[in-house]
Amino acid sequence: MSDSKQSKIKFRHLRNIVSVLVEEYKRMLKDSGVMLIILGAAFLYPLLYSYVYLNETIRDMPIAVVDQSNTVRSRNFIKSIDATPDLQVTHTYNNLEEVKDPFYKGQIHGVLLIPADFSERINKKQQATVSTYSDMSSFLYYRTMALGVNFAMLDQNDQIKIERLNSMGKVGREAEIAAAPFTYKDVILYNEGMGYGSFLIPALLVLVIHQTLFFGIGMSTGTAREEDSFYQLIPPNSGRSIFHVVVGKALCFFSWYLVVSVYVLGFIPKLFNQPHIGNPLDIAILIIPFLLAATFFAMTLSVFIRNRETGFVVFLFTSLILLFLSGTSWPRSSMGQFWVNFSYLFPSTFGINGYVKINSMGANITQICDEYIGLWIQAGVYFITTMVVYKWQIGSSVKRNR
Amino acid sequence: MSKNIYKNTKAVILREWRRMVGRPIYLFSSAFVMIFCYIFFLTFFSEGMPRSMPIGVVDMDHSYVSRTFIRNIDAVPQAEIVEHYVDYSEARDAMQRGEIYAFFMIDKDFERELMSSQQPEFNFYVNEAYIVAGSLTYKELVYVSNMGAAYVQKKMLELKGEEVEENEILAIVQPIANDSHMIANPYANYGVYLLNMLLPGIMQMLILLMTVFTIGFELKMNTTPELMKTANNSMFAALLGKLLPYTLLFSILGIGGNLILYQYMHFPMNGSLVWFSLATILFVMAYQAIGVLFIGLLPSLREALSLVAVYAILGVSFTGFTFPIEAMPRGVQVFQHFFPIRYYFKIYVAEALNGAPIRYSLIYFALITAFILLPFITYRRLRKAVMKPDNSDSAK
Repeated sequence: MSDSKQSKIKFRHLRNIVSVLVEEYKRMLKDSGVMLIILGAAFLYPLLYSYVYLNETIRDMPIAVVDQSNTVRSRNFIKSIDATPDLQVTHTYNNLEEVKDPFYKGQIHGVLLIPADFSERINKKQQATVSTYSDMSSFLYYRTMALGVNFAMLDQNDQIKIERLNSMGKVGREAEIAAAPFTYKDVILYNEGMGYGSFLIPALLVLVIHQTLFFGIGMSTGTAREEDSFYQLIPPNSGRSIFHVVVGKALCFFSWYLVVSVYVLGFIPKLFNQPHIGNPLDIAILIIPFLLAATFFAMTLSVFIRNRETGFVVFLFTSLILLFLSGTSWPRSSMGQFWVNFSYLFPSTFGINGYVKINSMGANITQICDEYIGLWIQAGVYFITTMVVYKWQIGSSVKRNR
Repeated sequence: MSKNIYKNTKAVILREWRRMVGRPIYLFSSAFVMIFCYIFFLTFFSEGMPRSMPIGVVDMDHSYVSRTFIRNIDAVPQAEIVEHYVDYSEARDAMQRGEIYAFFMIDKDFERELMSSQQPEFNFYVNEAYIVAGSLTYKELVYVSNMGAAYVQKKMLELKGEEVEENEILAIVQPIANDSHMIANPYANYGVYLLNMLLPGIMQMLILLMTVFTIGFELKMNTTPELMKTANNSMFAALLGKLLPYTLLFSILGIGGNLILYQYMHFPMNGSLVWFSLATILFVMAYQAIGVLFIGLLPSLREALSLVAVYAILGVSFTGFTFPIEAMPRGVQVFQHFFPIRYYFKIYVAEALNGAPIRYSLIYFALITAFILLPFITYRRLRKAVMKPDNSDSAK
């Protein structure tokens, strides 16, 4: 007897939740503004960003050379710089003053100065010093210049060392070992090409999900507040409660975004051949608490959105803040404890880090248990805050309208 | 006539001021957000250059040489050895967990092989999935490895009884050296790379949203008749009166930001702060003009705001300060010309960073100014929408 009564109560909960879910789906699909965000933007942004950052790095960056040595050796050095994939010598001058014009015009992003005593010093077995000047308007210009010059320099240094040792009567293996008593191998374990896109895109993909979900829910809530239609969510004598409304609404966006996530996190990295070495099952396990946390987070904050459109006006800037707070760019170890703690408020922090670790670094779910547990805690806390906020909003709407 | 315009504009400005203080969104989404972002980013990058980034070590040799190596690496200010691991897989596990950005590994018998001239090898492993931390630790580990080689060679030659001076050994290990100059940012301060354009990136977002919102909200709420009454039916005065308070507000925020960055924080300013601040004012006006263009094109708050949000977000990418424009596929490079912030960046590079003579920036000043003329394209359309409130989307 009591068993069937209990199952009846359970069934009633389910029926109420499903009816909210169906209503919410209808409302969502009919709202062109919301669809523009959760379908249009979620579909287009990943394509657009993947395409813009397709090239990963700079190839053949134009630089100028001031060759004051003008010897076979200096010309060999310039040739080996030109041969690197990173740099291309487009201008040659006799003094530094002449370099200024093309540099100010942005035609070159670096300058190599080979001093007059370059060959002489090498021949005298002294150390010769070349000078490089890097355009610092972008981190990538500096890195490309440093990498290219360094590569050519190592190449020239090896040649000169062997030459010298040969002249000392040391040849073959003996010369090699004297030139380098030990060697080292640098292994780049993840993002082997040191590509900018491969580093940024995985973080952006998670952020696109987080932000479109946020603005989608914001717009839908803003509409409800504008029309003051919250009271309709709990019709009299329907047996519906705040709990049913919150769970039903959340399930609507959650289920929609499960599909979106398959496209954004599963399909896009394969399409553009971005890093995707993670186990899809681990990604799926991570995404469930991420979407729940992000949904309840958005539902809670939507209390500040009074109109359909104001979500953008109030919260658009957070997209940049959240990207930096995730710590994919500026390392978390240098962030300062206050901002590290602040970053734990946002599902994007755990979502981005968890996804990057699985997707780009091949971690499994046990290796990201911190992020995983963090997301479940956020989901729980933001569920409670959503309940509180909805109770207040629906309550005041009912008061006004009945 | 001109006196009337002055009077009408003044009336609209006063009305706008009352609206600005009447609802929190106006001042929140302009002044508050901008000031918050200044505080956020300045404290966020306060370290300038990442220091003490966590790295690990796998020492299987446990020798005098390997311990010397570890000490040398730990002495590098950019990296800090946080953990010793027993083997490769343990270190890799820590890397995947995100606990370390790099680790190096010295195999068993390294010292013995070194002493018996067998040219041993050691490895280091870097994680470039976090590109800033990865690139910087990579650079440091290469440097320490090369210095280590120099040190060992010196010791070896000394063992053989050949006395060598410090500079001689350098010439042997590294016949050619590089004296690297970083123009205007000698310490590769990461805040200098990013803040100068990230903050304008946020400001263009706020200007665009606020311009569209303040005009679009009148359309939506059907308050345009009242607006036109205040402006004495002059569309020009109405528009000017609505925009000017924000021109002033954002110019103050922008120039205030310039003072904080270039005066107080001493970020590189090798040109003239006056010229650059003039660019800031033009930047504000150009983005207001684009805002008016959007709401004129789509005189509906929702549509114009959605579009302007997309445009504003893309503006950050097409500034080209993190990933240069010329590295993008050719097909999208052309989009850089649609964003005044791209030209603002060019002025920043020439004026602040490189200290180039002003003639190199004049073309970009002219191009930013050209954006200010854009509203004339949609002026009539917007005027029609303002005069006929049924056009608004609340009536749909």
